[in-house]
Amino acid sequence: MVLTRPSQTAGKPIRCKAAICRNPGEALVIEEIEVAPPKTWEVRIKIICTSLCHTDVTFWKLSTGPFAVFPRIFGHEAVGVVESVGEQVEEVSEGDMVVPVFSPHCGQCRDCLSTKSNICTRFPPAHLPGMPSDGTSRFTDAGGHPIHHYLYVSSFSEFTVVDVNNVVKLDCGIPADKACLLGCGVSTGVGAAWKVAEVEEGSTVAIFGLGAVGLAVGEGARMLGASKIIGVDLNPAKFELGKKFGFTDFINPSDLTEKSVSQVIGEMTDGGADYSFECIGLASVMQDAFNSSRPGWGRTVVIGMEMQGAPLTLNSYELLRGKTIVGSMFGGIKAKTDIPILAKNT
Amino acid sequence: MEFRKTAGKPIRCRAAVARKAGEPLVIEEVIIAPPKPHEVRIRIICTSLCHSDITFWKLKDPPGYFPRILGHEAVGVVESVGDGVDEVTEGDNVIPVFLSDCGECADCKSKKSNLCSKLPFKVSPWMHRDETSRFMDLNGETLYHFLFVSSFSEYTVVDIAHVVKVDPAVPPNRACLLSCGVSTGVGAAFRTANVEAGSTVAIFGLGAIGLAVAEGARLSGASRIIGVDMNPDKFEIGKKFGVTEFVNPASCTEKPLSEVIKEMTDGGADYCFECVGLASLVQDAYACCRKGWGKTVVLGVDKPGAEVSFSSFEVLHSGKILTGSLFGALKPKSDIPILVKRYMDKELQLNDFVTHEMRFEDINKAFDLLIGGNCLRCVIWMNK
Repeated sequence: MVLTRPSQTAGKPIRCKAAICRNPGEALVIEEIEVAPPKTWEVRIKIICTSLCHTDVTFWKLSTGPFAVFPRIFGHEAVGVVESVGEQVEEVSEGDMVVPVFSPHCGQCRDCLSTKSNICTRFPPAHLPGMPSDGTSRFTDAGGHPIHHYLYVSSFSEFTVVDVNNVVKLDCGIPADKACLLGCGVSTGVGAAWKVAEVEEGSTVAIFGLGAVGLAVGEGARMLGASKIIGVDLNPAKFELGKKFGFTDFINPSDLTEKSVSQVIGEMTDGGADYSFECIGLASVMQDAFNSSRPGWGRTVVIGMEMQGAPLTLNSYELLRGKTIVGSMFGGIKAKTDIPILAKNT
Repeated sequence: MEFRKTAGKPIRCRAAVARKAGEPLVIEEVIIAPPKPHEVRIRIICTSLCHSDITFWKLKDPPGYFPRILGHEAVGVVESVGDGVDEVTEGDNVIPVFLSDCGECADCKSKKSNLCSKLPFKVSPWMHRDETSRFMDLNGETLYHFLFVSSFSEYTVVDIAHVVKVDPAVPPNRACLLSCGVSTGVGAAFRTANVEAGSTVAIFGLGAIGLAVAEGARLSGASRIIGVDMNPDKFEIGKKFGVTEFVNPASCTEKPLSEVIKEMTDGGADYCFECVGLASLVQDAYACCRKGWGKTVVLGVDKPGAEVSFSSFEVLHSGKILTGSLFGALKPKSDIPILVKRYMDKELQLNDFVTHEMRFEDINKAFDLLIGGNCLRCVIWMNK
């Protein structure tokens, strides 16, 4: 359905196409759905483009546990245009370019008001399957059955409904195919270097996993003046790609026969990296990243979401030796204030 | 005056030797070699027992070594110095420290670390630079060093990087506390955590370290200092150090400890300190700290090789910070004098840490008292 005059659809359900996952790990099916109008504090968005993030894949495969809910509309990295808004919404209006984000930013709770946290505590965690305000769904399939939301965004649909706390307005004219990357991966990576690690000029940085997030961390570290950016990946093709993002050195763990990755990094950095980042989602790699950091001041940032629920195990003595480890959602980014900054600098 | 006769020669004196893991120390005569270059021979005035001495006393395998002179928290007087030592001289009051401060390496020069990389920390049985011993028993058998200090002896030899000159006006039974335990706790609050005024702090384990954290948190203006300990007697003692509330995990029967603390603090403490050295307690402390900005600091020394485990999901989603430090992230030579001054200015309280005092001959009683959980610091006087 082509939207030419938004005012025609405001207040009414919209029929459109969505890519639905009906069962874990099964190919998505393009079906006609109905998208309800936005309730109070909600925004209905026409999606322009959306990108796939590995976290979508992780949840798509999940067949057991409280987060495994189907049928579901996945996707959480996107950009769109506001089609209509619910009552009380003044922040955005029809026609605005917006990025929906899984990480809410109410701006009023203790955490939003603090500079030390980006974990908005206004709403329950985003892994619940409905809208944050009332837990219900705005999507129904052709048979009239509700379809679950995902991470408060659900961008694999021509239209979606998102709470205003999960909406970021962009008015700097950034092209859509760049803007959608700011919805998750790139913001997470750059934010991790900028806000969580606070990489300073001259630092040494080790990045485990050169997917979009890892490469974005490299980009962030480069912008902040890191002197050495070491990329660790099993895929040698990533090394050429990584050079474009500022990586200075590469380690392929499968090439190492005698020494461990952390030993090699320790030698390359005269004692350990100032900052290390895990950007895959594997507890064993988180451990490697931690072991690769420098005693005394080394800081490890965990960004990857563990794919199999494996626990993170650390040597107590390494903690006594002054190493720090911290996990981060969305790279410490406070969506409504920081994404526009990143967009301007793109 | 008294030392001119012994400089350059071996000294025969008494030491409390740990001959077998877990067995009472034996007071016997030993021979202490003169200091080599960069070393200082010290006559110990008094020494106190720290739980880390007990941990390594019980350890049958390396880094447990026997026979050994344990002890690492002490104060003494310089008897003689080796070549190349200008920083201290005969007669100076000094505190030996297990952590090196060479002042020259990148780490010593950096504000961000106290872990000297020139003479790195390890639980070694030797002197730091040449990995030999200065101690011998009367049969000529080598006695091992402990943590580069070995203070359970009337005399010891310590590398100058491990020696801090201290104002002689400080009573020895207070000065020795700054050699390890109290500095570690106070430093952790000031430097590792950087507790700010108005913070909520939770301390797991109210031994001397935990209470020193409380003292540091109190001086930093923390608004609430919650003490967690299985021994209810610690609450009364804790109040003297600024502990405002007390939780006994043994009475958390309906809800887990972390739920109790999260309810008390509206989401979790800003700072949690683990001061025992138990993986399960580190995990509890992490669970009790606040999502978003909470910081958990590990100070307790667990057995070598110990590991802590966390839910990766929780680590990612909580944004909590996990870290730790040795000696409370303090740099011995620059920071101990600062703590000394704060004590002399009556800001830093040290008196209540000393719950028992005894003669050197009774040193094994100190072990019993600390293992029994009924003392904070037992100060042992070498010559009373």
